[in-house]
Amino acid sequence: MLGNVFFKTVRDRWLGWTIATGVVWSFVLLGFAAYSGLDLSILETFPEAYQSMIGLRPGMDAGALSVAAIYGTYGSLTFAAMALAMGAASIAGEERKGTLGLLLANPKSRTHVFVSKVAALVLLIIVATLAMWAISIGTAGMMDIALGDLDVFALNVHMLASTLFYGLLAVAIGAATGNRGAASGASTGVLVVGFLGSGLLPLIEGGEKWAKLFPWYYFSGSEPLYNGIEWGHVALLAGASVVFAVVGLVGFLRRDLKGQSVGVTIIDRLRENPMTKKVADRLAGSARVSSIWLKTASEHQIVLVSACAYVFFVQLMLGPFYAALPKVAFEMLAQLPEGLEVLFAFFGGGDMSTPAGFFQIETFGMMAPIMVMLVTIAVSAGAVAGEESKRTMGLLLANPITRSRVIAEKTWTMALYAAIVGIATFAGTALGSLIAGLDMSMWNIAATCILLTLLGIAGGALALAIGSGTGRKSAAVWGATGVMVALHVLNSIGSVTDDLSFLQKLSPFYYYLGNDPLNKGMNWIHPVVLAVIAAVFIGISFPLFQRRDIRQRD
Amino acid sequence: MSEAAILTEGLTKHYGKVEALVDLNLEIPQGEVFGFLGPNGAGKTTTIRTMMDEIRATAGRASILGMDTHAEPVEIRKHVGYVPGDLAMYPNLTGRDTLMYFANLRGGVDWGYVDTLAERLDAQLDKKVGDLSSGNRQKVGLIQAFMSKPEVIIMDEPSSGLDPLVQRELQKMMREVAAEGRTVFLSSHTLSEVQRVAHRVGIIRHGRLIALETVQALRSKAMRQVEIELDKPADVELFKAVEGVTDVRAQNHHVVMTFGGDMGALLKVAEGRYNIVDISTQSADLEEIFLTYYQDEEASA
Repeated sequence: MLGNVFFKTVRDRWLGWTIATGVVWSFVLLGFAAYSGLDLSILETFPEAYQSMIGLRPGMDAGALSVAAIYGTYGSLTFAAMALAMGAASIAGEERKGTLGLLLANPKSRTHVFVSKVAALVLLIIVATLAMWAISIGTAGMMDIALGDLDVFALNVHMLASTLFYGLLAVAIGAATGNRGAASGASTGVLVVGFLGSGLLPLIEGGEKWAKLFPWYYFSGSEPLYNGIEWGHVALLAGASVVFAVVGLVGFLRRDLKGQSVGVTIIDRLRENPMTKKVADRLAGSARVSSIWLKTASEHQIVLVSACAYVFFVQLMLGPFYAALPKVAFEMLAQLPEGLEVLFAFFGGGDMSTPAGFFQIETFGMMAPIMVMLVTIAVSAGAVAGEESKRTMGLLLANPITRSRVIAEKTWTMALYAAIVGIATFAGTALGSLIAGLDMSMWNIAATCILLTLLGIAGGALALAIGSGTGRKSAAVWGATGVMVALHVLNSIGSVTDDLSFLQKLSPFYYYLGNDPLNKGMNWIHPVVLAVIAAVFIGISFPLFQRRDIRQRD
Repeated sequence: MSEAAILTEGLTKHYGKVEALVDLNLEIPQGEVFGFLGPNGAGKTTTIRTMMDEIRATAGRASILGMDTHAEPVEIRKHVGYVPGDLAMYPNLTGRDTLMYFANLRGGVDWGYVDTLAERLDAQLDKKVGDLSSGNRQKVGLIQAFMSKPEVIIMDEPSSGLDPLVQRELQKMMREVAAEGRTVFLSSHTLSEVQRVAHRVGIIRHGRLIALETVQALRSKAMRQVEIELDKPADVELFKAVEGVTDVRAQNHHVVMTFGGDMGALLKVAEGRYNIVDISTQSADLEEIFLTYYQDEEASA
């Protein structure tokens, strides 16, 4: 009955769900590994609001902490976010891309398309939730983590209902309005406000009943991990999901399809308003197009702001979190079996008994490089190859400017953005350390962030070189990402195996954290090596682009 | 200012084994509108992209205003306006933002003139390019090419998506450019458009220039499809003998032929033997002209 639209949607989306499941699982795994057998009474010293939000309870053991706080909270939020992104994309997204009209030109009704897409979403959510449950139970079993009376299955049933709720809410708004931004924006708002509201309101006297206004309450309010399935709550979420599906379908059947559109942003509205037109015009218009590098900067604002906000807040939270962890925990971690040592090596290695080592494992080892390279690779891959993929390079180069100037200006934006991510990382780390009184050296934090910036520029430079040589954006993005991942693995293997330690020095990651800069400060050779790597890739980009034909199609 | 606006000498471009362009020789004087005609995939865009230094010639060279296109591309672009075929722009920018971006890269333009152009083409500059229909997007591309009053304007199928009124305005703008002593290189697959504005026409097929004629000469050679209805069954041999007639078919009282000669002579022959009941002529479409040239070329080869 469902045919091709269903399978195509599943095929387009399964990888995203697999990655999301893997990420949540890796956090749970880390939780089990890092915190098993610890006395967690210290967690009770956390602010009450924080405890309430992430589901901490007095007397909780490590297994419960991992499942409740990591899986039950971050995992559920991740799944809800995945579901609403896919839901918003399902009808409104295709409309925005301009492909929905083409799809409906086939002898398939709107109902057929809608049902197929919703069915694909529901199937993926069910499979991902079941997989999450199975691998969590399995992992706990293998690692001898006693989950005791915890009803993980009940948590998953609630998680399933909750994930469906947000997914279908986004589907409904998108299908009824055809506006993808409205669909993801409004449902994200419901998710975030609900999460905060249902977590914080019960702390206020008489607030419990107000918490019931938020959908998140019906996921976590009954504490299914301890109390089993609360069928009333599950039914409410499931019922609402069905209502959303019906509303979305009816809305979709009744309205006009929208054409391909770029959507309206807040700044566009400001430009239309005579009161704000002048300022908004300058921001969105004349300033943005005054030069190539500024235009490039404006195109990548969102990824920059997201990456900076993420690293800043994670770093800010980690300081106090570390301070709250009991010292005895780290002594045990020091005696980890060798297998786990390898695992930690992939997260950057480090001695967890010092704040620096903790930061290194938790963020600098993996998360911060991912964030900075997300930005630099996006800017660099877009610089030459992206402009060719979008077929605008011919028009750009019809102006009296050299190809080299295009590369130079866009590389400047990339380097500037890497530095901004570095500064955000520094600010978050330094502030987190100050708040928690961790007494980390500001110079060492700064040194690490400088190395991080240079590592990001080196990764971006590689993407630039691939893009300049091939004109293919996907080659630039995935080529650079693949090489950087491989080099990261090389460095990790080199760091734990003495025989292979020479391998490390082939990897730029060695010149980033190899000297343990958070503890020991900068080894001045290392930034020079990273800068040379970046300079070589940027340098070869010029002749590579200069010599070849501009691609016309992707 | 005696040098040619555009000069190509043995310009050749191969993509691997595919010969996209072979030994193109053109000399276009300043002040001319040059029409570059050919079916899809003939090599029109390849020629233009080579002239713009987007792609590099396998052999031969091209120059614009006396400057080599590969050696001095930046200097050339100061004097050239360009509308690429299959125009793509930045969807998030408005038309005005887009023009401002390119104006900044050019070191400024006369905004009064931009407004005049926008008015003439009925362009919407305050909408985002991504929200415009393809015709309205094309207008932004056209303004972009004309706004700096360049000495040479190169356009690759510029009227795609434009309605007939705007097409006519564009043709008027091209004639004005030529009248000011500036040059237009117009690639097109629409003969009627080229006929209206161009002084000379180059016809390209399979990467080879197969004809270079004034529009007048081309028009006189244009083949017509002639269908004559007679009062009795037609004798094919009779019509075959008339000069300029090719490809005659007769069906009962009807005779259909491709004709490229003096119509009077044809009618005289018909009236000698028959009464003409009805006659219709249809100007041959471009493809037939190509075919004619192509067949000629093959015959002489």
